[in-house]
Amino acid sequence: MTTGAGDLAIAMRGISKRFPGVVALADVTLEVGRGELRAICGENGAGKSTLMKILSGVYQPDDGVLEVDGREVAFADTRAAERAGIAIIHQELALVEDLTVAANVFLGRERRTAAGLIDDRTMEAECRRLLALLECQVDPRARTGGLRVGDQQLVEIAKALSLDARILVMDEPTSALTETESVRLERIIARLRERGTTILYISHKMDEVFRLADRITVLRDGRHVRTVDRAATTPAEVTGWMVGREIAGHEFHRAAARGPRLLEIRELTLPWPAHPRGYRLANVSLDLHAGEILGVAGLMGAGRTELLETIFGAGEPTWTGSMRLRGEPVRFTHPAEARAAGIAMVTEDRKRLGLFPDLDVAANVSLCSLREATRGGLLDRRREEALVAGPIRDTGVKTPGPHAAITGLSGGNQQKCIIGRWLLTKPAILLLDDPTRGIDVGAKAELYQLIDRLCREGLGVILTSSELPELLTLADRIVVLAEGRLTAEFTRAEATEQRIMHAATGG
Amino acid sequence: MPEPSGQPKAKVLLRSGEWALLAAIVIAVILTALVDANHSYWFRPLESLRDIARNTALLGIFALGATVVIIAGGIDLSAGSMIALSGTVAAATMVALAPAAMLGFKPVGPVIVAVACLASLLVGFLVGTLHAWLITAVRLPPFIATLATLVGLRSFARALCESTTAAFTPTKSALINVSDPLFKAVRDNVWIPVAVFGLLAFATWLILTRTVLGRHVHALGGNEQAARLAGIRTENVKWFAYCFGAMTAALAGLFYVANESVAAPVNQGRGHELNAIAAAVVGGCSLTGGVGTVPGTVLGAIFLRVVIDAVSKIIKTGADVYEGLIVGIVVVIAVTFSQVGQLAQGGRRLLPGPLGLCAIPTLALLCGAVVAMTANGPAGLASGLAALVFLAVVRAWESRGARAPRPS
Repeated sequence: MTTGAGDLAIAMRGISKRFPGVVALADVTLEVGRGELRAICGENGAGKSTLMKILSGVYQPDDGVLEVDGREVAFADTRAAERAGIAIIHQELALVEDLTVAANVFLGRERRTAAGLIDDRTMEAECRRLLALLECQVDPRARTGGLRVGDQQLVEIAKALSLDARILVMDEPTSALTETESVRLERIIARLRERGTTILYISHKMDEVFRLADRITVLRDGRHVRTVDRAATTPAEVTGWMVGREIAGHEFHRAAARGPRLLEIRELTLPWPAHPRGYRLANVSLDLHAGEILGVAGLMGAGRTELLETIFGAGEPTWTGSMRLRGEPVRFTHPAEARAAGIAMVTEDRKRLGLFPDLDVAANVSLCSLREATRGGLLDRRREEALVAGPIRDTGVKTPGPHAAITGLSGGNQQKCIIGRWLLTKPAILLLDDPTRGIDVGAKAELYQLIDRLCREGLGVILTSSELPELLTLADRIVVLAEGRLTAEFTRAEATEQRIMHAATGG
Repeated sequence: MPEPSGQPKAKVLLRSGEWALLAAIVIAVILTALVDANHSYWFRPLESLRDIARNTALLGIFALGATVVIIAGGIDLSAGSMIALSGTVAAATMVALAPAAMLGFKPVGPVIVAVACLASLLVGFLVGTLHAWLITAVRLPPFIATLATLVGLRSFARALCESTTAAFTPTKSALINVSDPLFKAVRDNVWIPVAVFGLLAFATWLILTRTVLGRHVHALGGNEQAARLAGIRTENVKWFAYCFGAMTAALAGLFYVANESVAAPVNQGRGHELNAIAAAVVGGCSLTGGVGTVPGTVLGAIFLRVVIDAVSKIIKTGADVYEGLIVGIVVVIAVTFSQVGQLAQGGRRLLPGPLGLCAIPTLALLCGAVVAMTANGPAGLASGLAALVFLAVVRAWESRGARAPRPS
């Protein structure tokens, strides 16, 4: 696609933005042609989101010029950007869960009747029309919080459409979607493009980027690295620009030294009373041996997290079936019991379920093994520092010191801290629930090496992931869940993306 | 405030907010010494010190309890009623064990006093257990659970007072006089509540910063779900926090009885739970949990009492009328000041839009009215106008940035 100078939808020139202590953007220039789909790529912290927030009026730039349709503009707030036809769909959706779908679509711009009262009927009719455009079957009167994530996202897109947005920013829109929902989203994106909408698409996922984008812009450390036509580059090249260095190939040739059987699960069923399906998990049986990585594949909602939580004693205690740990029957009712038995779990949502933002790095790492840091019943600062020094070194956490704020670390380093926390408990089994979600490419590679090494040291690992290549890279065996049932098991040699997807979609 | 550097935190005696609070206390004391027409801080320093020390100790004891509950991510609204119940339980126990002595204002003996005090602390433990049960097992929000006991416990204490006096003395009564010399001694020796407060503050500090339990309290308040998934028995940590909160209030209740020589459940400690929460918040506790320190709360309690004392010295009459107003203003100002950094960085405005416009006369009116009532009419008018002008200038200064064309 070629765009003449007069045909630009957006021109951002020399944009800089500083936050206390960091330069988020330095002299970034971005020009996007009308009707173009531009992918914006970069690691976490590269400045993608900041740039998009400037475009949509959330932030104001310290320096630089912003032009929309050739006219210079300065947005004081998001409302001003919306008036100029720019809408943003944030990665973390900004919906009011307790309001209806229609109320969310028209939030802040409610239609009124002649008497000045809220005109629900008009809004619902309008909302229904917008949703139909998006192939979405959701009732405009449904409570938004009760919808699936994919549908909530469509509600956000409907909101953008109702604003008559000509420029749409999508910040990692597929990060929480199932494969089917992602496919639907791609169809909708195609339809929006037919209407002439200019789309800026932020994503980590190279396959998506290369399927959708006209051109690709790569940012790194707040600077513009380059902008290229999709046809003129390769995923490996783009990844290389994102990280600024070569990524070592993730090929692990681990000697298949499978140890004794650690965990034996038979006919595990977890009921789900309020749901038509009736169960979250049904008749799941699996084994885990020492020194192996068992991958659990499945779409969102297939029961991956529920399976790990049940093993860890963190879920509903209503499950039936049997679980044996080294041959002994076990049934954990609290994570404390699982921890004492040598099971560790790194949870899915790091921020919500794993991290303690008010505690420093050392306290986050030592939390599960604090008794070892006491002297005469009192915590001993030196002992704690000595205790956490090991895992901080082994997992390769980059931190200014053990007493730095954990919130100042990157996502990858935070995740290493949490893995370090559990390694201190000297577990025999490590449950990893989508451990690389939201972590940038470089840190991912380091985590893969860490997981692989732990496994060689004799740990049994159960790994779930929303990215199939990750499972194919790391796992010795892969089991597939579809709607709570175990539908297939593959060895590493047998597994392919197609086979797994076939089993995961219930095929 | 998070420290991005690797500097060890524990080597810092006080954090920056706490130094500011200490400075504010010193300034308040100096101002009072200068402004007070009687100059009582100059002429009777010991007497003033005794007053402030006693009041600070009484507030501080259960403010420490509030601190632990707040750091654990909860809230305890029932402390004031727990104070009333504790005093009533102690007095009622003495009436039941030695009705004749109590009726005749005679000593009941150290054994019975000890039993009465232990009974109060036990009731504190039971109330804390009830709170923890309501919150973890019945799953009530802490605000609701302790709102129920806020109203319920005082009523319970009044009923207990009336039925005990009806059963053991000739007449039913809404209060019980306590005149045992041991209680009198506590009243006359200010160092006793101060020493108890000091020891309790040290113990609380030790628990919060140097024990596994204290770390778990911080973790629970910072991220409850993550704490459970890390294998922390969160329900037990909450049990501790609410028992600590209720038992410190029970302990404070005993000092209230000693101080006033009477257990009067109708109004003893009424509304004081909010002073405790205010002391904790002024001291840097965050009501979202996970954040707070013992030195902060101690300084917060001292600051509140110093300001209340200052106002009573300066205004002379009816100082208790203004106590609530002072606490309210101090909380707002202290928390606003702790956000000054954010205000400066984020370009956030204090007086934005139509709301800010309406807030200007509201604040000016409040300022003028308070001055008019405490000093005189003309002074009130003058200060009201001064506030109006000042706020208008702030507003104009804030709007300046928003209207100016962006440099390109």
